[in-house]
Amino acid sequence: MLALEFPPINEILRWQDVFPSFNKIAIIAVAAALIGTLIFLIAGNADGSKAPRGVRNLAEAIVEFIEGQIIMPTMGRDGLGWTPFLLSIFSFIYLCNVPGIIPIIQMPATARMAIPLFLSLLVWIVFIGVGFKHQGLGYLKSSLFPPGVPAALYILVTPIEFISTFLVRPFSLTVRLFANMLAGHILLVTFALLTESLVQGGNIALVPVGILPFFMLVFLTAFEVLVAFLQAYIFTILAAVYIGGAAHPEH
Amino acid sequence: MLRAVVTYGSQGPEVLLVAAEGEEGYSEYTFADCAIIPDGESPSTKIEGLEECDEGPSPIMPEAKEFFWGAGSFVLFALLMRFFLYPRLRRSMDAREAAIQEAHASAEAERDAAKGEVSAYESALAEVRAEAAARIDAARATVEAERTTRLAEANEAISARRAAAVADVDAAHDAARAQVGTAVATVASRAVELATGRAPDPNSVSRVVDELMNSGVAQ
Repeated sequence: MLALEFPPINEILRWQDVFPSFNKIAIIAVAAALIGTLIFLIAGNADGSKAPRGVRNLAEAIVEFIEGQIIMPTMGRDGLGWTPFLLSIFSFIYLCNVPGIIPIIQMPATARMAIPLFLSLLVWIVFIGVGFKHQGLGYLKSSLFPPGVPAALYILVTPIEFISTFLVRPFSLTVRLFANMLAGHILLVTFALLTESLVQGGNIALVPVGILPFFMLVFLTAFEVLVAFLQAYIFTILAAVYIGGAAHPEH
Repeated sequence: MLRAVVTYGSQGPEVLLVAAEGEEGYSEYTFADCAIIPDGESPSTKIEGLEECDEGPSPIMPEAKEFFWGAGSFVLFALLMRFFLYPRLRRSMDAREAAIQEAHASAEAERDAAKGEVSAYESALAEVRAEAAARIDAARATVEAERTTRLAEANEAISARRAAAVADVDAAHDAARAQVGTAVATVASRAVELATGRAPDPNSVSRVVDELMNSGVAQ
């Protein structure tokens, strides 16, 4: 028997407060905002007339990625005004995701419900606000009564549209980000504990076997780098799609 | 009967009343039975039941402190991004892009100007080449004419010299023939004189010799 004792999920998510009401998740969130600010501050101070290098190159690459790969395909040129908001969302989520694979920290702030929930509610408020700003009360009509549907079907379609647009969207945004990051965190903990149990379990015959979960741990750590980026990208592009859809329902 | 257990924790001395087994209030649980041992508590500390355990945060329910710290951080970051960080970066990116486009347009203009200069140079070169070719042809024609003239003059000179030489040869030939005729006439006159005892007429001898020599030449 390996006698592997996997701690309850509550335990791996429990962090002592550094000071009252300020725990590890809060540290990561504040650090993400500070690092993001620092990156764009340094980039803004760099000589813009020369070819971008280092931090400025990184910042410009992020801006061009947001504009070229997220805003233009989903909102078109009119959506470029949303660049700072979407840039903030992408940078903040990515910087909250990445600590999940940084030694010692090893906890993505988005693996807790609070931050994804706040960001989803913010996106929800923003896209509904944009819908009313651009279409007035017509936003409700275009959202709940999609054109081209036979009138009799509105009995079915309208409740479905209401639930999917106004209720499910923030929920799905939150759960997608939170669950993916929490699952990744649990996977890393699982393989780390398994490796430790095999290597330090006292059974010499099992020590070489410990390399298998260790390789899996290394692979998953690399995979989490991709997941950190991918989840930030998915959240941001969905936010852009929702805002773009509310502003221009014909798209 | 309750027993008092005094411990010195992080917040000073703590007194815990523990009941003996079988007595009312007895508990078989300690903090060691909990998944999480609270900070500052000893694992052997008795608890009344597992409901006293700190279960830790719910994996699903959001915690208010995390929500507000996350929200505050993000809102500050987004405001900075909206009013300070992004506009600054965008302005310098736009300025560089404009400078690059201006430089590009300037380079295009310079390229067009250079193309114009190259075509002007090429047309001038073609003109010069045509002029050079015409001059070469003219020079060649001049040289040819001069060569023909000089050749004709040379041929004339050669002909004159050849005629003079022929005349000289003829004169020498005639002189030699006259000498030979005189000598033959002298020898013949002497021979006739020796044979007949009388000297023949020199004019007759000379005529005969001339006739014989001329007939010999004719033969």
